[in-house]
Amino acid sequence: MNWWLAAALALVTGGLGPCLWGAARGSAGRRVVAQNMATLLLCLVFLLLAQGYARPSYVDLALVVAVLGPAGTLVFTRLLGDEIGENPPGLRLLTPAVLVGAPATVVPLCIATGPGRAMGKLVLIGLLLIAGGIVTSAAVRRA
Amino acid sequence: MHDALIVVVLLLVAAAATGAVLQRDPARQAVVLSALGLTLAVLFTVLQAPDVGLAQLAVGSAVTPLMILLTVRKVRRKGRRE
Repeated sequence: MNWWLAAALALVTGGLGPCLWGAARGSAGRRVVAQNMATLLLCLVFLLLAQGYARPSYVDLALVVAVLGPAGTLVFTRLLGDEIGENPPGLRLLTPAVLVGAPATVVPLCIATGPGRAMGKLVLIGLLLIAGGIVTSAAVRRA
Repeated sequence: MHDALIVVVLLLVAAAATGAVLQRDPARQAVVLSALGLTLAVLFTVLQAPDVGLAQLAVGSAVTPLMILLTVRKVRRKGRRE
């Protein structure tokens, strides 16, 4: 039994599934928030998969998501503009989800990998995630 | 555990693709399409093809929605002018 893969499976079913549901229905604002939440969860899933398969190179995927996910959300907020509206549902959950989810995944992974370059990469991804979450929630609120 | 992961991700991809097809408004469809790209990237990674997943991520999460939204914007602006 590989607990990292089990955690990834739980995150995919319990996190990505509802995010898909949110992205497919409702107002444009709700969809953008759900899509942004999906990129955050996806980054954590990639980190867990890299550890579960014991392939440190898979961490690159998480790094790419951490950079491109917020970029995609900023594209949506810029081009959907007025359609997003005031305070889309779920926006308030975004920053707490990032602040809880990123450390809750990155810290156990750091302990499992031990000190070194790999750990620095994990910490960088965690910081990028937190920064991206804060920037995108501010951008959606202002849209 | 590995097989369960593949089955769940395959189901998610199928659900996302169906959802993307059923949308009516192109601008909102772009959001679902981006979510579909993300699930496809997980599928490729779970099937041990992270390089394909990387390409899918780069294209699916930012570039495709950007192109669709720019096109929608241009078409709407043109329609308003005529």
